[in-house]
Amino acid sequence: MPSIELNPETASTHTELSPHILLAFLQSQSQTALTRLYQRPSSCLSIFRLLRPLERQLILNLLWLESSIPMSTMSAWVTPEGRKPYNDSLSNLARLHVIPKSTTKLALNSTFRASLRQAITGGGTTGSFGVPVEPDPQYPPPDIATLDAYALERWEIILHYMVSSGTGQHPTKPSQEVLYLLQRSGLMTKMHGGVLQITSSGFQFLLHDPHAQLWELLLQFLYMAEERQMDMVEVLSFLLMLSTMELGREFSTENLSPTQSAMLADLCNYGLIWQHSASARWFSPSRLATTLTSSSPPLPTSRSTGRGSHDQGFIVLETNYRLYAYTDNPLQIAVLNLFVNLKSRFPNLVVGAITRESVKKALLNGITADQIISYLTTHAHPQMRKNKPLLPVTVQDQIRLWELERNRVKSQEGYLYTAFASQADYEYVLDYAKQLDVVLWENPAKRCFFGSLDGHANIRGFIERRTAEKA
Amino acid sequence: MDRSSHLSVVVDLSPTHWYLSSTRSQQNSRPLSLKSFLSQLLVFLNSHIACKDENTLAVFGVLPGRSVMLFSSLSEISGNPLDAADADTYRPFKVLDGTVMRTIAEHVENLGPSDLEKPVELVGALTKSLCYINRITATSSAQSAEQTASLDPRILILSVSPDQSSSYIPIMNSIFSAQKLRVTIDVCKVYGSESVFLQQAAHLTGGSYLHLERADALLQYLTMSFLPPPGIRQLLSVPTQDKVDFRAACFCHKRIVDIGFVCSVCLSIFCQPVPVCSTCRTKFPIKTLQRLNAARPPITIPAVAASPSVTSLPSSHTIRAGHINGSQPVAPNGLR
Amino acid sequence: MPPRRIEHEGDSDSDLDIFEDFDSGAKSKGKGKGKAIDRGKKDKGKGKAKEQPYAWEASYTRSWDTVQEDEAGSLQGAVEDLIARGRRRRLLAPAAAIRRTIIRHLVLLLDLSSAMMDRDMRPTRFDLMLQYAREFITEWFDQNPLGQIGIVGMRAGIGERLGGMSGNPQEVLKTISERHKLEPTGEPSLQNAIEMARASMSHLPTHSSREIIVIFGSLTTCDPGNIHEALAECVKDRIRISVVALAAEMKICRELCDKTGGQFGVALNEGHFKDLLFELIPPPAQRALPSGPNARSAGTAPADLMLMGFPTRLPDTSPPSLCVCHSQLKSEGFLCPRCGAKVCDVPTDCDICGLMIVSSPHLARSYHHLFPVKTYQAVTTLDNMPNPSKMCHACARPFKYAPQSMAGASGEGMSHLGRYRCPDCQNDFCGECDVFVHDVVHCCPGCGR
Repeated sequence: MPSIELNPETASTHTELSPHILLAFLQSQSQTALTRLYQRPSSCLSIFRLLRPLERQLILNLLWLESSIPMSTMSAWVTPEGRKPYNDSLSNLARLHVIPKSTTKLALNSTFRASLRQAITGGGTTGSFGVPVEPDPQYPPPDIATLDAYALERWEIILHYMVSSGTGQHPTKPSQEVLYLLQRSGLMTKMHGGVLQITSSGFQFLLHDPHAQLWELLLQFLYMAEERQMDMVEVLSFLLMLSTMELGREFSTENLSPTQSAMLADLCNYGLIWQHSASARWFSPSRLATTLTSSSPPLPTSRSTGRGSHDQGFIVLETNYRLYAYTDNPLQIAVLNLFVNLKSRFPNLVVGAITRESVKKALLNGITADQIISYLTTHAHPQMRKNKPLLPVTVQDQIRLWELERNRVKSQEGYLYTAFASQADYEYVLDYAKQLDVVLWENPAKRCFFGSLDGHANIRGFIERRTAEKA
Repeated sequence: MDRSSHLSVVVDLSPTHWYLSSTRSQQNSRPLSLKSFLSQLLVFLNSHIACKDENTLAVFGVLPGRSVMLFSSLSEISGNPLDAADADTYRPFKVLDGTVMRTIAEHVENLGPSDLEKPVELVGALTKSLCYINRITATSSAQSAEQTASLDPRILILSVSPDQSSSYIPIMNSIFSAQKLRVTIDVCKVYGSESVFLQQAAHLTGGSYLHLERADALLQYLTMSFLPPPGIRQLLSVPTQDKVDFRAACFCHKRIVDIGFVCSVCLSIFCQPVPVCSTCRTKFPIKTLQRLNAARPPITIPAVAASPSVTSLPSSHTIRAGHINGSQPVAPNGLR
Repeated sequence: MPPRRIEHEGDSDSDLDIFEDFDSGAKSKGKGKGKAIDRGKKDKGKGKAKEQPYAWEASYTRSWDTVQEDEAGSLQGAVEDLIARGRRRRLLAPAAAIRRTIIRHLVLLLDLSSAMMDRDMRPTRFDLMLQYAREFITEWFDQNPLGQIGIVGMRAGIGERLGGMSGNPQEVLKTISERHKLEPTGEPSLQNAIEMARASMSHLPTHSSREIIVIFGSLTTCDPGNIHEALAECVKDRIRISVVALAAEMKICRELCDKTGGQFGVALNEGHFKDLLFELIPPPAQRALPSGPNARSAGTAPADLMLMGFPTRLPDTSPPSLCVCHSQLKSEGFLCPRCGAKVCDVPTDCDICGLMIVSSPHLARSYHHLFPVKTYQAVTTLDNMPNPSKMCHACARPFKYAPQSMAGASGEGMSHLGRYRCPDCQNDFCGECDVFVHDVVHCCPGCGR
């Protein structure tokens, strides 16, 4: 069966799958903080979703067991191929304090277990999935389309501001808090005269998919919250609660803690939630918020290109380096402009070419060739997906070559050994250095060679011993 | 990539067999009632949705004489949205549990007394779930090529009633179409004897077949063996199949046979030598008949007893099959 | 070129007697078109193909010409129309069970002579042949699971055995997977290759069918002896020879097919080549019973009743034991239902008691030929329905209520409401499920059979 052939491939991707960006943050938190976080079923459910498949399965296997089970029993049901991912998963979960580290018995953290059980079976009185309210007849709640448009607008304002900084254009400025966050996170930096300028990490940020971008910003938000002496657990659990809410519904603000109420304004700025006024007693989460823990597209399809330009892709790249982008979204065009020499623009189409100059400009901005290629790949037009390989090989190679051009000189630290007394001495030491595989360059005529940094101690010791012997 | 997956669950709701399952008897030392089964099933379904936001689900019910769709993640949520509002429960779970319980109640109430006699419609539910999978894979392939690959559809059959030998051919046909669609079929036999056909279904599609030994641990069994999507099953030692019984049902009396007489033209299976193939009307040479009759020592019964696998087949089964045959005359061309 | 192919999809069910009459009409019409095809009686289903140009006559392939836009500039109508044709083709299929030979043995003779490097079929005859042969083998095993295929190449005047008789599709595909080993050269020899194929099938039991399919690109054959002797031997052994020629009709090829009851066809273009080849996939229908001893309708071996056993498969985890076929300790295997001996693989004959052991799914794969699902009726009006169902009975897709306008498609078995009703259980299905049920599942979700 063909499905069997597919499997090894999926296995490798499973092991390569990098853990979610938030999990690293959680791992750095203290155990007490995490235990407090795990008290809320909605947080447990969201964190559970961010884990890798094998980790999820391990948790579910243990979820309904009352007693802990011996390590050996547990490891009996992974196959030999699964050994490594299994160990990785266990250590990962141990760092999250979900399955406390133990050499003999395994069991779920009791708080986590109780909350996840409650999340899956329902019930309880925690109210952690948000208290829905009847809409206020005075201020009718927005429908889903309005919410989507709102979220998209907010989000694109931020990105567009970043993209066009320093190009002389003056798009709408995001709010002061957002600007501060961008600066704080190192995506933008203040140049002379107080003008914000995008940094190289900012350029890289632009090429990520919206999901990663969102989490990157939220993580910065979390760090900032820590600095501002806000209660981290409150902040996190509010974010995670948002992710379990339903799009197109209104939730009450009355049950929120002061910290969480304070967050509302910030989240409005990012477009995660909608409030008709700052003092409103209810809010609606937008699609950006409700898809935080899923991989479905967090942004509604772009308003201008009609159906599905975000998830469908819009870029056609030809072997002659010509690029056709079926979009009229200013943000997408601006992002393309980072590494494409755009030539002409039509109502729904932009035509350009990838040139040495345009790619070099991007490289100078700190964007890497791989990022360009991966951006082109993820946004390739459905027609392109029929090609195999997806992008023309010539173009891919050339972009990589252009990157290599910049890296013609590679510096390496080391020591130059010169002034050997005799040719024999020189060869003797050189042989030894070659055995260590630390020789970077040699010149027998001048009796000198260059060794790398880590080989120096050995070579030096060797020479000293030899001189000592001779003496 | 961490892929989303689709799960179709086919639940056998045969009232007769659930009654048997819930009563304590000698063979049934750990009774399992429908109610506790359903509550554990719902938790299992919730776990599937919990694993990933994009995971999709369809639930089909098998009832005597009919099969119904109980829930699908695609269908519009009916009813007043506010009465499902609850601050303590994740809303998709609430909708799922409510819908499944409501539709089951509706359909079971509609069953008349005459319906109870009918055999359960496993085939209908199985083909419906295949059509459903065909529908979702077809629509997603229209969107983008990657999504189809990421769907990983599978079917889980939770069965309590015994094999319907009359449905041998349709079941086999569904199995082959599942193979074509690359759908894995998992089988959990919650109550009753081993099912020959479902064993083959799981074996041929690369799924697991599990005979529930401890009914009180149903949820743990379900979670450990059937929740992991095919992608990570190779990392886990999911229960593989015990013996697979490759027996077939004969066309003439719908008996399950392990040695049969096969027409060389159309491959119809008969449990005894026949002069004319009932399917393709081929006349067989009289010599063969004589030879086979002579070579047929009392095969049907003793050979069955000698076979190692038959101990699991209760005698009531053959009687039942015979009864069906007696009550409704077999159509001239075999099954139809 | 998919659109073109649909034109003659209708011809692919070669065993349908329905085509007989309109074929004869087409034949008289197409006579003037040249010597290429269709003088014989056996050869059918090519009536419509005649109106198409030969591959070397055509200047451009303009696949977009086949599809036409409607007034609104949409292709919807054209696509619907294509679907309608597909449906109509199926409506013509007979509902009654046909007798078919299901245990088949086939030797595929591939022409590997230099004539195969011609480029009149793109990219070359040779590449196209390999590509179609692969598809053919996959499809053939799908429909004839108990069958076996061997492959013989004709190259440099000799027959080369590329792969022995095997029932494993992967094994067969492997033999033609390496293109560079099959590089065409020299002259082909029909006689050598046929003799070789015949020899490899000589040991087979009487009730199995034996077939040779020749894909022939050359216009010559270079034989060591009298090819008619080889032909006579084949007739005697009841070997059915079918030829798909890529160049033109040769007298000897036509004769091979006529005398042995096979089919002969000359491929006009790429699509037609595939059709001719794929026509040979469904198990040949058995025509009227072999009349008399000189029944020349070869291939219809005497029918027989066979004793078969359905084994039990032991799991990989069972305690290892010796198998009877290799005398090796193994844990997995199949148990013979009669004597309990363990064999490694099925289908096979039990080494101990001689019982033929097959796994029942092997047999069951062909049952959909025997019990086809009744054709669903297109629902054209909802007027006499008290409360029509809201959604498809199978996949729960909601039905559209507003009738769609379709470009001249109705009347060909299409329902403008998108509803198709099973005549037995009276349930409504959507168009997609209709096709899926009839083409793949072969079992109606409503009636469960």
